[in-house]
Amino acid sequence: MIINLFINFIEIIIGLAGGLAVGCGFVAFLTVLGIIPRLIQLSKSQSLLRVYGACVIAGSIFGTYISFTNITWSQPIFVLVLWGGLHGIFNGMLAAALTEVLNVFPLLSKRIGLEGHLLWLLMAIFFGKIAGSLFQWMYFVK
Amino acid sequence: MSEIVYLRMKRNVEMIGLQAVQLRHIALISTPSQFKRELEKTTLYRISKEDRNIVIIDSFLVIDHLNSLYPGIEFQLIGPSQTIIRITKRKKAPSILIVSFVWLLLFIGTAMTIMNFHYDVSMQEVQQKLHYLLTGEQEEYPLWIQIPYSFGLGIGMLLFFNHWFKKRFNEEPSPLEVEIFNYQQDLDQYVSYYENKLNDNKPIH
Repeated sequence: MIINLFINFIEIIIGLAGGLAVGCGFVAFLTVLGIIPRLIQLSKSQSLLRVYGACVIAGSIFGTYISFTNITWSQPIFVLVLWGGLHGIFNGMLAAALTEVLNVFPLLSKRIGLEGHLLWLLMAIFFGKIAGSLFQWMYFVK
Repeated sequence: MSEIVYLRMKRNVEMIGLQAVQLRHIALISTPSQFKRELEKTTLYRISKEDRNIVIIDSFLVIDHLNSLYPGIEFQLIGPSQTIIRITKRKKAPSILIVSFVWLLLFIGTAMTIMNFHYDVSMQEVQQKLHYLLTGEQEEYPLWIQIPYSFGLGIGMLLFFNHWFKKRFNEEPSPLEVEIFNYQQDLDQYVSYYENKLNDNKPIH
């Protein structure tokens, strides 16, 4: 009995510590990539910063919940489409932020002298992502 | 009373081939003096082969030179303290071959990285589980999530970069443009220090 309680206690400590570390890391990751400032800039909603912070936390906890639970909800396909679309937009911004952080573009434009064609190269990345993703889901995994 | 000439150095100048650099090429001047035309035509420097791509003209040297030519005039400097002259042979457009190669490189490269990323985070499994969670049916290929996801991926990148071909969503510069600007500025800062002969630490003989 006492040993059980002790083990439970250790589990709580481990879980809490792990959660804290992952949570900090996750928020730091999002901050470094600058997706939230970018969204605020696009939607001109500086004043809602606190709301967005709360959204990120709520989303993380909700995600944690659905990755550990085993229930089902019987939703129509429409919800799936919406879900997939939003997921894609978010991931797209993530990928774009990474490409940018790696400074591929400034280098390309200076080294090879492609200043005038920058938008075309941007489109290459854009279509590359869509094509790669579609190819993977529709052919590659089957 | 001495006349005052206000000098504003240009930050970046591109010049083609080997030619003489005149004051009007590298600076804007404002003065009531009748010498204005003459001042603008003053030759400050001759670009030689040894200069290769970049010459830095420091405002100190400019003022020094002008002072010796026009002793009665006072020079006041405003703006940047040096001009970076980039010497280009002749403007030539990058060949279509190189552009298409880079285009293909980026296209294939990004396609592969996104696929690797999906494997790395086991996205297929997550989406299968999500499909089961939302609909209650097991589905090995939850395309109803995956296809909107794929297009969303592109839309997200467009939102981030603020561009759809030549069209922009609003007036603000995109993070990409800011990044390129910063990179250019870093380069400028570097060359204006290391290519500037005044910053040589060698002892003067």
